[in-house]
This record gives sequence, C-alpha cells and structure tokens, in this order.
Amino acid sequence: MISLSDYNHEHSPHSVAVTVKDLGLTYTTSIDKKPTLKARLKTLGRGKKHTRIVRALNEVSIDVHYGTVLGIIGSNGAGKSSLMRVISGIVPPTQGRVEVYGSVSTLLALGVGFNPSMTGRDNVYLGGLAAGMSREEIDANFDAIADFSELGEAIDAPMRTYSSGMYARLAFSVAAVVEPDILIIDEALSTGDVKFKEKSLNRIKELRTADRALILVSHALATIEDICNEVVWLDKGKLMMRGKPTEVIAAYREFVDARKSASSDEDV
Amino acid sequence: MEKPVVVYEPFRAGLPPMREYLRSLWRRRTFIAEFSRSDLREQNYGSVFGQLWLVLNPLLLSAVYFLLIYVIGGSSDSIRFGHLTASLFLFYLIANSLTGGVKAITSGQRLILNTSFPRIMLPMSATVIALFKFIPTLIVFAVIHQIIGLPYSWQMFWAIPILLIALVMALGMAILISCINVYFRDISSMLPYLTRSLLYLSPILYEATNISDRIKSLEIANPIFFLLDSWSRVVVHAEAPSTYGLIHATAWSLFIFFVGTYFFLSRERDFAVRL
Repeated sequence: MISLSDYNHEHSPHSVAVTVKDLGLTYTTSIDKKPTLKARLKTLGRGKKHTRIVRALNEVSIDVHYGTVLGIIGSNGAGKSSLMRVISGIVPPTQGRVEVYGSVSTLLALGVGFNPSMTGRDNVYLGGLAAGMSREEIDANFDAIADFSELGEAIDAPMRTYSSGMYARLAFSVAAVVEPDILIIDEALSTGDVKFKEKSLNRIKELRTADRALILVSHALATIEDICNEVVWLDKGKLMMRGKPTEVIAAYREFVDARKSASSDEDV
Repeated sequence: MEKPVVVYEPFRAGLPPMREYLRSLWRRRTFIAEFSRSDLREQNYGSVFGQLWLVLNPLLLSAVYFLLIYVIGGSSDSIRFGHLTASLFLFYLIANSLTGGVKAITSGQRLILNTSFPRIMLPMSATVIALFKFIPTLIVFAVIHQIIGLPYSWQMFWAIPILLIALVMALGMAILISCINVYFRDISSMLPYLTRSLLYLSPILYEATNISDRIKSLEIANPIFFLLDSWSRVVVHAEAPSTYGLIHATAWSLFIFFVGTYFFLSRERDFAVRL
C-alpha cells in the first residue's frame, strides 16, 4: 500500500531514500494468543505474567540510496519484518530515528485486504484511501491493478471467496503497479503459482531504476542474489553485515551451517 | 541535503505528534465515508430489500411497539408510543456505535499490520455507520410524530445540540471500547449484556418522571440517562430540556470522549504488535 503518495517528491538518482539511525524497537506483547479479561481475573494475584517484552531491533543503522535494490536476510525472528514495519511507519520506533525521502509502497507478509466480506474492488479502494491516496489516484491505477492481478470478474466478488493465490496476486498488484519511489516487499514472493511468481519477479526487475529504491525481505537466497545489488544480514535484532550479495550471503550461509553443525554435535 | 518527507521518531509522553496526526486524519476523511458506504452495502448484501432495510428496520421496530401499546395494551397513549420510538432510535445510535466499535481494531488487523494510518479512523467509521443507520429512523419518527399528533414548538430546536452531544458520546464510547477489546477480547461477547442493561437502566421503556427520586439520584452514574430524558422532552413533549440534564449529558459525553481518545492514542502504537 502507498503512503504519502499525495506528496510528489522530486529526487535525484542515487540520493538517499531512507536513513535509519541507531534504531531500537522494544515492545510489549501478550503471551496469550487471545488475551481475555477472564484469563486475567482467573490468575489475579498469582503473579502470572501475561505480557512479555520483545527486543526486536537494537541499534540498527542503514542508509538506502535511490537506485539500490536492498535484500534483507536473516533467520526467523531476526527483526526483518519489524524493521520493514518501522520504515513504513506502522510501528513507531522506541529509539533512534528513521527518515524517509519519498513515497513508500509496502507489501508486507499479510498482503492486501481489510474486510474479507467486501469485494476485492472495495478492499483495494479502502486500502488505498487508508494509506492516504486520493480516490482519483486509485481510479487512475485501478484498471492496471485489476489487469495485473489477472483476477478477471473475481475482483467484484467478496474476498472471502478468494484462494490464497488470488489474495497474493491482488496484494502484489496493488503494491507494484502504482510505481512508488520506495517499494518494500516482505516475503510476499513466496506465494502464488509459478507463472505469477515469474511475472512478479519480472515486474520487480522492471522497477529497478535509478530513481527508485527497493527493499526485499526474503528467505529465497537465490532470488536475493539474482535481484539485489546490496544485502543486509540481521540476526536477533542486530545488524551483522552489509555488503555485496555474494559476500553477505556466503557469510550468512556459513553462520547458519556452523550453528547447524554445532547443534548436530550436541545430539551425539 | 534534501528534506525528508517523513520522520519516524519515538513518541513523546506516549502520544503521537498531534498536529501531524490530525492532518493525516483529515487527509483520509474519504476513507471514513467510503468505509461506511461499503460496510452498509455489505451488511445488506444479497438481501431482498438491500439498502431499503435502513428504513424498514425502524419501521418494523415501531410497528412492534405499536402492537404492544395500542393493540395488546389497549391504550391510545400517543405520548408513550412517541417516547418509546424516539428514545429507542437515539439509543440505537449509541448501541450501534458500541457494537460496531468493539471490533473496529481487531477486525482491521490486516490493514493495521500493513498500512500506516491514524488508527482512530476505524472506530470513527463505526460511529459514522451508526449515524447513517440513525438518519432514516429520524425520518420515520418525524412521520410518526405527525400521524399520532404530538405537539410542536420552537423548543424542538434543542434536538440539534442534544444530537451533537449524543454523537460525541457515541464516538467516545466506540473509541474506548475498540481499544479495550484489543487487550481483553472477551469484551465483545459481554457487550450485548452491557447494552441490554443500559437499555433497561435508561428512560426508554419508561419515562424519567415515573421513577422514584432515590433511583433517579443513582442514575447520575448512567451516562445516557439524562441524554435520553432530554431528547424525549424535546422531540416528544416539545419542551425545553432541563439545564441539569443538559449539563449531565455534556459532562459525561466529553468525559468519555476525552478519556477514550487519550487511552486510544497512548495505546495506538501497541496495536500492530498486539493483534
């Protein structure tokens, strides 16, 4: 989804797109999947904990320049999605500062859609309006979005009738058709069928221009190596390494393998 | 160096920067209108009468009470019928705002996790939807008012400020309950009992003048008691509302609105990690 797209931002190629300075993110979240008053009352006075503090990011600093395709890699819980959420303004940071120099379109893990009982069309409009686009801007892009998603008449059916592939296609189309200055894609390429995956990869390649910045989060290391010209590796909320895709990915693989063999030794 | 378009920094004193917040809320006002429209469309999606239900609902409701008072009760007490329908319609504005608001945040999960926007838009939309449902009832009541021959007077213009107070109250309640439901998800299942109690504790099925002074003094704790009483006095009896009633309703609505909004805004940053 787009934010700030009502702001027509002028920028020169290779100037800075996003700066992240000493970013820290700590938050409290509930342990229970569904926190209830009942659970609270039942355990009243027993000193049972209902929340835990998560330290998601710790002193992360990154600059992303226009023209860069930045890949973000790391194991589960490394803070990749948290970092994307802070850059998109969804979660405010606890420490540090994030500066964004352009319009941002984000495609995060959950994809598009707001109310599954509304039609795909309504959801695209509502998502766009919530992100700060005007109705005219959505009108101008809507046909291209519907075309790219290949949903056909299903665009006017309630989203609860969609398959997960259809969800993913619509989500990708919304984020990638509108040509933002900065596009953030978080693990959204792994869904959809082979044909659409290829189509979306091609679209990302098309979007790699000097006046745009792309940030991709993915576990598909081969794809990252293929598309990106810079890679950042996060582990447990900390920046481990940043540099050329081949080097960082090699170091990351070595790290993962080392951990794996260490744990397999323990088994013996 | 170019100026950044946006800067994200830690919140000061737990609240987001208010000026920026209000500006971005105003920029997204079409969202609230569009959301209410699609939601109403979806609620009546596939039903025979479609959007006509918005008018049919209050009509059928008042038909039921007509049956109760005139046919079964055998009385021809037009004041009682007028009071019942008018109070019930205003009560539904508040009750609908509460029931729409309670899940406003929890059901907006996908949007909240994906998009940066002022979260308060979601409960606000719930109140706007409740208002859209209320407007047709106002027309239905105007027709009933004429048919059963209730009095008219200039005092009836008091209905405008009373409606505004009711809207602030409905909005405050929607904002507060949407936020509470993030932390205690079972609130939404308790809500029907809460609204039902509110219905019986408020002067809807009876008039405020019919209850004892002792009970009435306890009703200070009921936020909507004097609001509904003032409404009935104005639109049914065509009298001016009591000053005490107006002050009571205004004080409660502002209290709920400000407490709810403060609570919501100070917790808003949490929503994305709590859903």
